[in-house]
Amino acid sequence: MAVIFDALPGMDVPAEAISKSLAQMWAETHAAGKAAPSAEEAKATQVNFVLHFGFQTTADDARQQFATTVEFSKRYPSRVVVLCPSRDETFGAGIRAKVYGECFLGKSKGDTRCVEFVILSYPMAARAYLEDLVSTCLSTDLPLYYWAHRFSSATRLNDYQYLLRASKRIMVDSAVVPLEALAFNWPKPEALRDLVHARLLPVRQGLGQFLSGFSPKKLVGGLKIVTVTHQPERSAEALVLREWLKPRLAACGKIDAVEFSVQADAGAGAPALAVTFGYDGDSTFSWAGYLSNNHATYEADFGDGAVKMTTGLKLLDPAAALSEAVFF
Amino acid sequence: MAENERHPFLQGLSKHRGAPPTAVVIFGASGDLTARKLIPAVYNLAADNLLPADFHLVGYGRKEIPDEEFRQLAADAIKEFSRREMNDEVWQRVAERTSYVAGGYDDPAAFEKLAEHLKQIDEKVGREVQPLFYISTPPSVFAPILENLGKSGLAGKHLGKGHHAKVIIEKPFGRDLESALSLNATIRSVFEEHQVYRIDHYLGKETVQDLLVQRFANSIFEPLWNRNFISSVQITVAEEVGVGTRGGYYEQSGALRDMIQNHTMQLVALTAMEPPVSLDAEAIRDEKVKLLRAIQPLNLGEGGDVTRAQYSAGMIAGQPAKGYLEEEGIAPESNTETYAGIRLSINNWRWQGVPFYLRSGKRMARRVTEIAVQFKRPPGTLFAGGSFDLACNTLSFQIQPDEGLSLILNGKVPGLETRTQPVKMNFRYSTTFGSNTPEAYERLVLDAMIGDGTLFIRGDEAETSWKLYTPLLEAWAAAGREGMDSYPAGSWGPSSAEALLAADQNTWRKP
Repeated sequence: MAVIFDALPGMDVPAEAISKSLAQMWAETHAAGKAAPSAEEAKATQVNFVLHFGFQTTADDARQQFATTVEFSKRYPSRVVVLCPSRDETFGAGIRAKVYGECFLGKSKGDTRCVEFVILSYPMAARAYLEDLVSTCLSTDLPLYYWAHRFSSATRLNDYQYLLRASKRIMVDSAVVPLEALAFNWPKPEALRDLVHARLLPVRQGLGQFLSGFSPKKLVGGLKIVTVTHQPERSAEALVLREWLKPRLAACGKIDAVEFSVQADAGAGAPALAVTFGYDGDSTFSWAGYLSNNHATYEADFGDGAVKMTTGLKLLDPAAALSEAVFF
Repeated sequence: MAENERHPFLQGLSKHRGAPPTAVVIFGASGDLTARKLIPAVYNLAADNLLPADFHLVGYGRKEIPDEEFRQLAADAIKEFSRREMNDEVWQRVAERTSYVAGGYDDPAAFEKLAEHLKQIDEKVGREVQPLFYISTPPSVFAPILENLGKSGLAGKHLGKGHHAKVIIEKPFGRDLESALSLNATIRSVFEEHQVYRIDHYLGKETVQDLLVQRFANSIFEPLWNRNFISSVQITVAEEVGVGTRGGYYEQSGALRDMIQNHTMQLVALTAMEPPVSLDAEAIRDEKVKLLRAIQPLNLGEGGDVTRAQYSAGMIAGQPAKGYLEEEGIAPESNTETYAGIRLSINNWRWQGVPFYLRSGKRMARRVTEIAVQFKRPPGTLFAGGSFDLACNTLSFQIQPDEGLSLILNGKVPGLETRTQPVKMNFRYSTTFGSNTPEAYERLVLDAMIGDGTLFIRGDEAETSWKLYTPLLEAWAAAGREGMDSYPAGSWGPSSAEALLAADQNTWRKP
């Protein structure tokens, strides 16, 4: 995991002098005439955020998620702690630290936001001692959000109960964590958010707005099968979509006998994701999302005439999905 | 609407993501407000993926404008006025469902043509589309538009369903009590009250909405929010600009009609109302109306509750500025006030004895809108005397610019001796949340689309406010220029306004 730590930007500092080093970093940046909060200016921090890389994370992947977190912080100024564990079961070199900061200039001087990152590399043997160090890097009293990325097994998270219990929201991405993660015994299950679900907001919104135009009774009258098809790399999205459809259709009426199927379709020109409702009678509904060229098609006929529509469609970008998962 | 009352496929989605298929029809489509605010608002809603997939934009106006030209005008408006750069892909999706209908506002045949146009949209979409009429025209044509919406059947379209026709009306909602009652009668002869959205863009501002959050989501304020702890409230709506080329319009309006009767009174209502039983639109508006009704009639006599003035020549930002009477389109004997200062007394349990001072003016020292709640001085003599500089604790909500809030506290100056000094704690939206937040019109247009009237003015709110101010307007009209004070352009107002507060041992803030 030192590979990840070394791949991330920042300035190496002693772990015992993180706060001092952050202050010094800003002072030096300010003195150099670059964008930085001066000593008199408060650095508004809105949230505490912990990004925790699992052992499956590569350096490139880490840089990508780091950039996503920077993007998120631009909108919601955060105090960010990035945790990079190493498999070392001895204390080895102990905990290493880096600090990183960026300021973003908006339309006016008053619209300058600065974000601070503390990056910690720690051997597994030191994980029990991490809690206090992390607490000193965060801003007291502000809400904490925790993103656990690419962990190899959810049970590993048991070592970080203080994060799981203290966090207002916990983000995982079901496309890149083990399937069992969603069924893990989370201490606050209501805090868990799947980034795949968040990314799918435009799909959920589009389908929700479209299907809400038909009476619930019609949507489930004669419904036999609901099929979600997907390109092979969209299997996580397909599963989430199926799970989203189930309770909504159940709220429309009795669906005990309805089959829910998820199928991969690697065919050329196949939509990235598609949903079809199969009925006993003449009713029809199908939706197809073509993510490569940003559009979706809707076709439905529930006995009042056929409705066809094409709309734009883009999944939320990673930072927007993160915001959605954190705040909504 | 409770979550479990929503259609199952909208449950779990934020209400703002559940707008039904909608056609927004803008009356006054070639006007300034449409270009500056409405079209950019629609575009930004599209960019934020908040418009329904079946969204249609229809411009309506007297000018003959081909569809393509209207789309071009709209694109130009986005490039010039949108808070975001224009993204062609986003705009194309709106543009391909954008059209224009030409017709007079008093021409029933033109409204039949509009009805047919909307019917075609319904047919094209394959289901019923919610019509949302936005009346962005001069008030002189409000009545014919409303009447023709009624006659053509458009006002009653889809009534009884969630996606029924709705209408947004821009201020002014009358120019006195009589005209407000008449306008409301016209509106109600055509629309039911729940279909009507009277817009005051101040209510769409984040800081104004934050007022409710600050008051009712923080337990430290509510126990202090009354006559026992608050000595006065000052509400300032100051503009740096003069009347510019709008002299003709302003002559018919004045500060009282233009700012005090509407925006400022909304700020008073939100600051002083009792906690509503819920965040439901009617619950909030009921409390606002109750508060407005508790305001005592103004004392219009000498040394009373009101003052008015016009700006005279002065300096703005170091440059000479003309007086009001020298501005283009202003009558030399004009008795239109460019400044109004008011003292309100609210006769209820919470506020009796706490003066609410309101002022609004053009050509003031700077553009600022704020609500300043001034607390009583602490009792006792512990920090009394010349060596202590104790300020009243003041909580100020800055509505614009630099949205945020500040709290003035007294602190000890570091040193061996005990010296005090007022210190300011600041919260600024732009610092904490960034400044690229949605514009008021985006929020309000979307709220109307989803049928949420919380941030709109109900008919009885407008009427209650006019009831308070109509006697004053009549008194000023009868007095001509008598009693009209003046203030130099670039100042904080006339001496008569200072005297108004001095009578209560108070002074105006210079925010």
